[in-house]
Amino acid sequence: MRLFKKIGNTLHILCFPDEDVEKGEYLLIEDEEAGKALIAQVIDVEFANVPGVMEELLRSSHNGYPIEGEDEDPLDVTSHILYIQDARILICKIHGTVVNGRLKQESSWLPSRMNSRIHKLPTESLIKMAKIDGDLPILLGETQDSFPLSIDARQLDGKLNIITGKKGTGKSHLSKILMLGLIDYGAIVVILDLNGEYTNLGYNSDGSKNKYHDKIHILAPGKNFKVTLYQTKLYVMMRTLVYALGLPGTSAREFRQIWRFLERNGRLTLHGLGEAIQNWKCNQHVRDALYSRYMTIVNSGFFTDNMAEAIDFEKLLSKTEKEGGGAIVIDLSDTSPSDRQMIVEYVLANLQDALSDWKIRAVFLFAEEAHLYLRETYWDDIVTRMRHFGLFATFITNQPNTIHENIYRQADNIFLLNFVNEHDLQVISRAARADAETITSIVRDLPPHHCLLLGKIVKDFPMVVKVRPLNVKTMGQTRYFFTDERITKLVRELNQAPIGR
Amino acid sequence: MLLIGQLHYETTSKYNFPRIIKEIELSERIVELSVNTMRMIKGRILQISNIDFSDSIIELYDDYEECIPIKGKILSALLNSLKPIRDGTPIIGVDVSSIKVGATDSGVIYAVRGAIVQRINGKYRYFRFGPLPFHVTKRNFQEILGECDEDIPFESGISLRFEPQRQLCNLIERWLRMCISHLAKGSLILWDGSLTAGVPGSPVKEMSEILKVARENSNIVMGFSKDTTLKFLDWKITDLINGYKPPCLFEIDSLPLLSNSRLKLLGRIYVAKLARGGCSFRLDIDRCIPSEECIRAVERLIGNERIYQGYPETLRLAHIYSTFTASDVIGIQRLLVRRYGLRLVAQSNMHRTLFGPYGTKIGG
Ligand SMILES: Nc1ncnc2c1ncn2[C@@H]1O[C@H](COP(=O)(O)OP(=O)(O)OP(=O)(O)O)[C@@H](O)[C@H]1O
Ligand SMILES: [Mg+2]
Repeated sequence: MRLFKKIGNTLHILCFPDEDVEKGEYLLIEDEEAGKALIAQVIDVEFANVPGVMEELLRSSHNGYPIEGEDEDPLDVTSHILYIQDARILICKIHGTVVNGRLKQESSWLPSRMNSRIHKLPTESLIKMAKIDGDLPILLGETQDSFPLSIDARQLDGKLNIITGKKGTGKSHLSKILMLGLIDYGAIVVILDLNGEYTNLGYNSDGSKNKYHDKIHILAPGKNFKVTLYQTKLYVMMRTLVYALGLPGTSAREFRQIWRFLERNGRLTLHGLGEAIQNWKCNQHVRDALYSRYMTIVNSGFFTDNMAEAIDFEKLLSKTEKEGGGAIVIDLSDTSPSDRQMIVEYVLANLQDALSDWKIRAVFLFAEEAHLYLRETYWDDIVTRMRHFGLFATFITNQPNTIHENIYRQADNIFLLNFVNEHDLQVISRAARADAETITSIVRDLPPHHCLLLGKIVKDFPMVVKVRPLNVKTMGQTRYFFTDERITKLVRELNQAPIGR
Repeated sequence: MLLIGQLHYETTSKYNFPRIIKEIELSERIVELSVNTMRMIKGRILQISNIDFSDSIIELYDDYEECIPIKGKILSALLNSLKPIRDGTPIIGVDVSSIKVGATDSGVIYAVRGAIVQRINGKYRYFRFGPLPFHVTKRNFQEILGECDEDIPFESGISLRFEPQRQLCNLIERWLRMCISHLAKGSLILWDGSLTAGVPGSPVKEMSEILKVARENSNIVMGFSKDTTLKFLDWKITDLINGYKPPCLFEIDSLPLLSNSRLKLLGRIYVAKLARGGCSFRLDIDRCIPSEECIRAVERLIGNERIYQGYPETLRLAHIYSTFTASDVIGIQRLLVRRYGLRLVAQSNMHRTLFGPYGTKIGG
C-alpha cells in the first residue's frame, strides 16, 4: 500500500491486488522519520484511476462480450499489467496519531508519501491503544480480523443507545445480547417487547431452561400482568389518563377529586370508581369524558379488583434488584394500540416513581419500535430528565426516521445494522458521533448480522463486528404465510390440476 | 530463412495456431533475443518519460514508398464491382505493435507485442505473443539487425529515432506472418501494410518466401494499408475510387517491377472500397496470384468477414489487441523493476514545468 493523497481528514491509499483490505478495517500509516503514525479507517474501496484501463476494457470486448483467445506471454508480463490494472484506492478517514504507542487526537501532520509504511492495524492493538476493553466485558462477536470484540458494560451505563437497521438484520438479536450481558452484571432491564420476541429468553434453543430462566419475568398485560387501583399511585394514574387516554384538563381535575374521595373512603376499586364517576356532581361533558376513559381502563383488562391476581410492579422492581438483577419483559404483542400506550405510560410512570424514590438504583430500558407507543413528549423526557433519575434507554427500530434528530445527537452509542435505503442512511448519518461518509459507506455494504458500532463503546473508533449467535429460543422472526409445507402442498395441487383450468 | 528453417511445423485441421505457435521453437528464439538484450541491464536506471501515445507507438507504416512514382502510361486502371461470396473461408489478421518503455544510460527499452485474430464460423479468436522487452543499444543494434535483414544495408536517409523499434516490430511481424503462412490452409491472410519488399525490415528474399509458403498452403495474402502516400497523377490513390459504388476494387498497376529501385512490389496494388460509408484502402494482393483470383479473394473476404468502416474486422482487432495502453506500459515498467532490478526515474519534463499543459508538443 502506498499513500497517495490527503484531503482534509481523508486519505487515499493505493492498494494492490495482493493486499487484502476491507471496508471498515483500520490502517496504520507509519512514518519512521517523523516517529509517528496515522490511524485511518478504510471507509470505501474504489478502482484506482489507472491510465489505459478504459482502452483495455474496450478492446477485450466485442459486442459487449470478451473475445476468446490466448496469450503467449513468456515473461508473464500480463501478471504485472493486471497487477497495475487491478490496483484499488482505499478511501480512509483519519482517526488520530500514534506516538510511541500512545494515541493522540492530532491528525494535521502529513506522513511521507515515499517512505511511509502502511499496514493493517489489528483490532487487538487498536483496542489496547484506545482502551476499548474494560472490566465488565460484554462479548458482541468477532471483528473483521477475527478478534473477539467485547464492549465494556460501563459504556452502556447512564447512556442513551440506538439500535437500528433494516428489517430482519438482527437488531432484536443484538439487543438480547446487550440485555443478557447487563443482567450478568446484576442490572435491571425492562423491555417493551412489541412482538413478544423476548419471552423465550429463559430457554435454550432446544427448549430447556437456561441460566437466566429465573431472572426473566414475562409480564403479559391483561394476563399475568394486572394491577389494582389500590396499588396505583394517583400520580401514575393521572399520567396514564392524561397522556395515554387524552383526558382534558378540567376532567383531570375532577378525576383527582374523585380519586381522593375514594381513597378516603377506602373504596378505591374499579367498581367504586365507576359508581363514583356516574354519581359525581359535575358537568355532563366532564362526566362523559371520565366515564369513557373509565370504560377503556375496564375493557383493557389491565386493572383488576382481585388482589390475588394483581402484581405490584414496584415491588417486582425492587425484588429484581435485590436478587441480583434480571429482566422484566413487558409483552405487548397481544395488546391493542390504545391499551399499549396506557400500559407503557403506567410502566414508565412507575419506573420513574421507583427511581426517584431510590427504591431501585437504575433501570436499563429497551424499547422496540417506541414510536408505536411512546407519546411525543416522552422522548425528550427520557433522554434528559429520566436519565438523571437512572433510566437508561436503548431504542430499537427499523425505521430510523421515527427517532428524532436530537435523540440521535444525544445518543452515546449507535449500533447500525445494514441499511440500503438512501433516505434512511441520510437520517442516520446525521448522528453527531460519527462522520457521515463513514456511516453511509460502511453501513450500505454490511452483510447480515454485521453491525457498525459507533460511540463511546468503541471510543469513537467505528468498528464492524459480526454479532455472535445466541443459544436462546428465538421467536419474533418474520412470520410467513407460505410455509414449506404449504408450498409443497400447493405445488402438488397445481401439478395435479387439469390443464387449461 | 533463419527462424522458420528450424520449424517442425504440423498443420492441424482445426487451424489452431495458438497451440502450435506455442509449441514451436520460434517463440523460444525470440524470447532468447529479448533475454539476451536484457542481460546486462540489472540495477541500471531507467528513465521513463511521460508517454504520449500518439507519438511513440510505432506501427509499420510505409513511408518508404513516398517516393514511388506511378506513371500514368503504365497504369491500366480497372474498376471491378464486387459480389460477396459466402463460402466459409477462414480470415486471419496479423498485426504487431511496439512502444518505447524508457531509456537507460546506454540504450532504449522497447516492448513488442504481436496479435493474430482469426475468424472462423462467424467467431473471432485472438492469439497474442508478448509483450517482450528489448534493450537496444548502439552495440547490440547491429546484432539485432543481423537477425533481421541480411540483404539490406542500413540506410542513412531513414530516421534513426524509430529505426530499432521498427526493426523489432518487423522481426516479430515477419515471424508471425511466416508461421501463419505455414499453418493456415485455404485462408485469407490479412497483413497490416503493403507487400512492398526491399526496404529495411522487409527483405525481398524473406517476404517472397513467406508469400510462397502461403500459396503452397492455398492461402492468399492481402496487405491493407491504412494510410498510403502512393500517388497517381498527383492524386492520393485512395481518392481515385471516390464516386464509385462499393463494394468495388480499383486495380492500379499491372507491372511486376519498378526499375532502378531496390524496392520490389510483391503485390498487385488495388484501391478497395469495401463498404458503403467506409474508407478506401490501398490493398496489396500477392502478385503471384492470378488477377481474377485476386478479385475473387476480395469477394470472399467481404462475404466471410465483417467489414467495419470499410476495414476488415480481424485486422482491426489484431491492431487493437497488439496496441499498448498506458497500463500495459506501467505493467512492463513494473516487470523491469521486479525482474531486472531497474530503478525508475521520471524524465524531468522541462516543457511541462515551463508551460504546463501547453508545453507538451514543443520539441516532441
Ligand atoms: N448474529 C446472529 N447470529 C445468528 N443468528 C442471528 C444473528 N442475528 C440475528 N439472527 C437471527 O436472524 C433472525 C432475525 O433477527 P432479528 O429478529 O434480531 O432481526 P430484527 O432486525 O430484529 O428484525 P425485525 O426488523 O423484524 O425486528 C432471527 O431468527 C435471529 O435469531
Ligand atoms: Mg426485531
